[in-house]
Amino acid sequence: MSLPTDDLVSPFTLEYTYKRSTGPVIGRFLAGLRDGQLLGVRTLTGDVLVPPTEYEPTTGDAVTDEFVEVGPEGTVSTWTWISNPGPKDPVSVPFAWAMVHLDGASTPMLHVVLSPEASLKTGARVRAKFAETRVGHIRDLAGFEVVT
Amino acid sequence: MIPTAVIGIGQTRHAAKRDDVSMPGLVREAALRALADAGLEFKDIDAVVMGKAPDMFEGVPNPELFLADALGAAGKPMFRVHTAGSVGGSTAVVAAHLVSSGIHKRVLCVAWEKQSESNAMWALSQTYPFQPPVTAGAGGYFAPVIRAYMSRTAAPEHVGWKVAVKDRLNALKNPYAHLQLPDISLETVKASPLLWDPIRYLETCPSSDGACAMVLSSDTAGVKNPAWVLGTSMRTEPLLFAGRDEVTPMAGQLASKDVCAEAGITPAQIDCAELYVPFSWYEPMWLENLGLAESGWRAVDRGDTEMTGKLPINASGGVLSSNPIGASGMLRFAEAALQVRGAAGAHQLDRARIAMGHAYGGGSQFFSTWLVGAEKP
Repeated sequence: MSLPTDDLVSPFTLEYTYKRSTGPVIGRFLAGLRDGQLLGVRTLTGDVLVPPTEYEPTTGDAVTDEFVEVGPEGTVSTWTWISNPGPKDPVSVPFAWAMVHLDGASTPMLHVVLSPEASLKTGARVRAKFAETRVGHIRDLAGFEVVT
Repeated sequence: MIPTAVIGIGQTRHAAKRDDVSMPGLVREAALRALADAGLEFKDIDAVVMGKAPDMFEGVPNPELFLADALGAAGKPMFRVHTAGSVGGSTAVVAAHLVSSGIHKRVLCVAWEKQSESNAMWALSQTYPFQPPVTAGAGGYFAPVIRAYMSRTAAPEHVGWKVAVKDRLNALKNPYAHLQLPDISLETVKASPLLWDPIRYLETCPSSDGACAMVLSSDTAGVKNPAWVLGTSMRTEPLLFAGRDEVTPMAGQLASKDVCAEAGITPAQIDCAELYVPFSWYEPMWLENLGLAESGWRAVDRGDTEMTGKLPINASGGVLSSNPIGASGMLRFAEAALQVRGAAGAHQLDRARIAMGHAYGGGSQFFSTWLVGAEKP
């Protein structure tokens, strides 16, 4: 039996043509990041959700229209160290994924901590570091750094 | 079965692009209106049922999980329904069964689509190397079936134009409807571009963002005008099999027989219907398929299906005026309920005691129907 010597080859790019409308709440949060601000939204019971949502997640109740500036410092509530970042990771050097409880917020937020592993611990104090060029995207917040 | 009624109805403003709201914002707009209509809050709801067309349309897999918190479903049963374009109707049927079976007392059902976040044509017609491109979209798929109906019944071409005009004029009475075309006429429909013979541009549905929600309950204490669910059906047939009649699919015929049998009525007792008509010709075709008219095209030609006719169809403006795909079926079911509740506003019909809601999807494969009435069964 003979085997084919030339394979048929054709380029194929699987494209995802999706876009997202951010709405009045996430949109405001992203606009805040662009302006170097961390914003949460106050719920009817007085909590501050960061990142903000259009609703109180445990009840579905509407939130208030009061946006609250939080941070820029906060506390690490849990974290995991990434010693070999992959191509899709936000930074190319070892870093930590961490839940950061920003000062003034009632909920922790997932982001990266850019400090050495030895400086990280649960309860560590961190400070937001913004990117120099900001466009209204979660990456406008470059990450957090441990405050020594 | 436990008597079950629609006690709250809500829908969004439908538009080509609702980029003023996020996906959670869109579904909440409909859900909060349905709850307000029922005089309830999320905490009063026992379970949530969500339907939408394929996940590829927005690129959010399992959106019922993403949207559970936005719909107050944390800690409650959350149920997802998938039946292509008929899904809005099937979602309402599932919600009705959850109540009529006694499993839950009050169920919120929500159906939606945010077509502007992607391209449904692209999601349906991805072209792979070394395979012939489908590049059909729904219009190209259904056009030959329409031609078959016209050939079989010797229906004249203007019948499709009449439906296109009627539904758009009805939509002018519906503030939620996407298309508002006050200047439409037989002449403008006839002059619009031929997209897929015999379908002209103005005989097709728009592409819409929108959502619809209903509260179904066995508890109607204090509810002024519940719409009682008299019967439900979901029927399916394969896309291809020998002897399949795509013009009048068996699954559609049975979906009508089922609901009439369950309600204990004949099709002649139905006062008005909201049928899933994405291309104008599907009105006469479904009239025959569902047993609502012997000759669908003659019924249309006589004006029977106008708001002043003997069997008004799509007083809301129908799918031809708003098509948020996943929500389109539920809108048919909800508009039928609005009619028997006497709550349809400017497009309210004079005599609407029993109304049919109907939806179909895929290649005319998936059907869902319900009958709602003003009298408790």
